[in-house]
Amino acid sequence: MELDLFVLLLFLVAIAAGFVGSLVGLGGGVVIIPVLVVLFGVSFPDATGVGLMTILATSSTAGASYVRERLTDIRIGMFLEIATVPGALVGATATVFLTHANLDDLLLIALGVVLLSLIPGSIQRRNEELPQGVVPDRRSQALGFAGAYFDQPNQREVRYVAANTDPALGVMFGAGVVSGMFGIGAGVFKVLALERYLRLPMKVSTATSNFMIGVTGAAGGGILLAAGYVNALVAAPVVIGTAVGAYVGTRLLPRLLNRTVRLIFLPVVVVLAIEVILRGLGVA
Amino acid sequence: MTAPSAPPADRRLPDAAYRRMTLVLRVGLLTSLAIVLASFFAYLLTNPNATSGQVLSSNPILTYLSLGGLAAGLARGSLEAYLTLGLLVLLATPILRVVTGAYYFARGRERTMTAVTITVFALILFGLLVLGPYIR
Repeated sequence: MELDLFVLLLFLVAIAAGFVGSLVGLGGGVVIIPVLVVLFGVSFPDATGVGLMTILATSSTAGASYVRERLTDIRIGMFLEIATVPGALVGATATVFLTHANLDDLLLIALGVVLLSLIPGSIQRRNEELPQGVVPDRRSQALGFAGAYFDQPNQREVRYVAANTDPALGVMFGAGVVSGMFGIGAGVFKVLALERYLRLPMKVSTATSNFMIGVTGAAGGGILLAAGYVNALVAAPVVIGTAVGAYVGTRLLPRLLNRTVRLIFLPVVVVLAIEVILRGLGVA
Repeated sequence: MTAPSAPPADRRLPDAAYRRMTLVLRVGLLTSLAIVLASFFAYLLTNPNATSGQVLSSNPILTYLSLGGLAAGLARGSLEAYLTLGLLVLLATPILRVVTGAYYFARGRERTMTAVTITVFALILFGLLVLGPYIR
């Protein structure tokens, strides 16, 4: 295929992935990675490297807005990075070693399983009610894991405290491994740790997860870039396209029916996940 | 963990920290996208006969992943070197955000948070400068 056409197709797919990814909160990587492998013939570690570069762009786009609006809990986010970053280093290193050992098929099957596991979390109705009766643990107490944000719909300041810091660190390590290994943001797992374990309000959880995704991506992406697994000519159109798509998606978000987008997008992810698993099994 | 009696103190970072981090993320992202976009289009224009097969079979930036190689490439106007620079700026953006956080935690004399953020920074650099090149 001529490079111009190849790049144009990559760019268009990346715009679509960034657009719908931002609408359903799964990020562009969930679509981009399997599409790169299945449709464009990109090797698994190269697709992972490109995916991590992509989440750097989308995280910085949305992350800047959330920080400016004070929705992000910088203190909690930066503390939990002590778990996600080592996780991402382990995940990205594992991808390189498994590739060297010619176990790419195993990685493809695992990617498919991870993609399928993300679906229930993205379908579940977000718990918009504020957590009640949260009892802070000692670490939360010592490090001042408490904050407040102004809730626009209710026109009032919402105060919160964090609990269960240590179990949340464990979940965050796992989220880092998944991110580094498969080139996705793993935001679903991060939000799980922030909302269910730390008991933070949903808006703070989402914003803080997005804030953390960039640094997790930098840890995994740094390894894969330095190891030579970020093909710049594939990464360039994908990064730009996803950033454009995510920007437009974020702007249009209030005007679109989220449910409709999910109904279209999630079956696509399921089909891609099954395709990736079949490819890993040598069937497709 | 047992429940302490009082809630944790609300120790929010100063407004300047939020403003500086927003600025770091915005400027870093826009700078990197501008460099990537410009160098990539220039590459397409100067390589009209390239094919997707060639692109997928080799990584054109391997030469520029060392500091010396990158500096030499930039000095002679290599488009692949500028493409690498754009990706490195993209990668550096959240890392600079970590450094900004460490600065404000240090200024607030918060030893644990300063140590945590500096450790995160060191781990990312370890991955980029030691682990990545080692497993290449």
